[in-house]
Amino acid sequence: MDYSLKLELSSHPQLMGVVRSAVERFVSDVGFDQADARAIVLALDEALTNVIRHAYDNRYDRPIAVTLRRLEPANAVNGASGIEFIVEDHGMSADPAKLRGRPLEEVRPGGLGVHLICEIMDSFRYEPSATGNKMILRKLRGQKPSTGG
Amino acid sequence: MHISTRQSGDATIVDVVGDIDLYNSPEVRKILLESLKEKRAPRVIMNLKGVKYIDSSGVASLVEGLKVSRTLNSRFILFGLSTAAREVLELSRLIKVFEVYANEEEALAAGV
Repeated sequence: MDYSLKLELSSHPQLMGVVRSAVERFVSDVGFDQADARAIVLALDEALTNVIRHAYDNRYDRPIAVTLRRLEPANAVNGASGIEFIVEDHGMSADPAKLRGRPLEEVRPGGLGVHLICEIMDSFRYEPSATGNKMILRKLRGQKPSTGG
Repeated sequence: MHISTRQSGDATIVDVVGDIDLYNSPEVRKILLESLKEKRAPRVIMNLKGVKYIDSSGVASLVEGLKVSRTLNSRFILFGLSTAAREVLELSRLIKVFEVYANEEEALAAGV
């Protein structure tokens, strides 16, 4: 059966290490290998970084909710198990243009987060709401490799 | 995360141990820019052996160091990339942009 874990945290960057540890354990238990687990943790970290930097404008005392959900084969596409992350905040709405990532030809700092999320996860959806933002990230086992070259 | 610098000839070696993420990438950026801009080190070599995790804000600090070094005609070199750090630079399509060596000896010997 599906199961889930909900983390409620304040938007403080110092908590990211704690979240990464919990998520890596969760993702490994679902059955992803080490390389996939590392990449998936990075994708969620980038989503949280976006919330702190953009939705909350670097305010470190705002609420973020992260739901980690294991997807059973019956509830996932193509019969593969996987994971789904739902990240919710009460901050400013995101600019949809910035959620498409940027071309990587130009070497410059910044703007890599969304590119990494899209590169790693099978799907990434953003839904603005009356109270804030919701991001839904999903990855199934055995789909596209997390790390390329 | 712990970050410190030491000298080896004309090279400034920046040793980093721990994760480089949103919380501590500003400190990495500060040390890099200090070495390149203020101390005018002709070569800044980053020891990433002890870095098990780096996110896009950490990568952005490295990119900024690289860009500043190019402006100042100095060198910005990385060595000791963990699997995780290499994967992030590959996913960012930046691995070939940096000068990367396996270990400190090779990094120091490069372009002397």
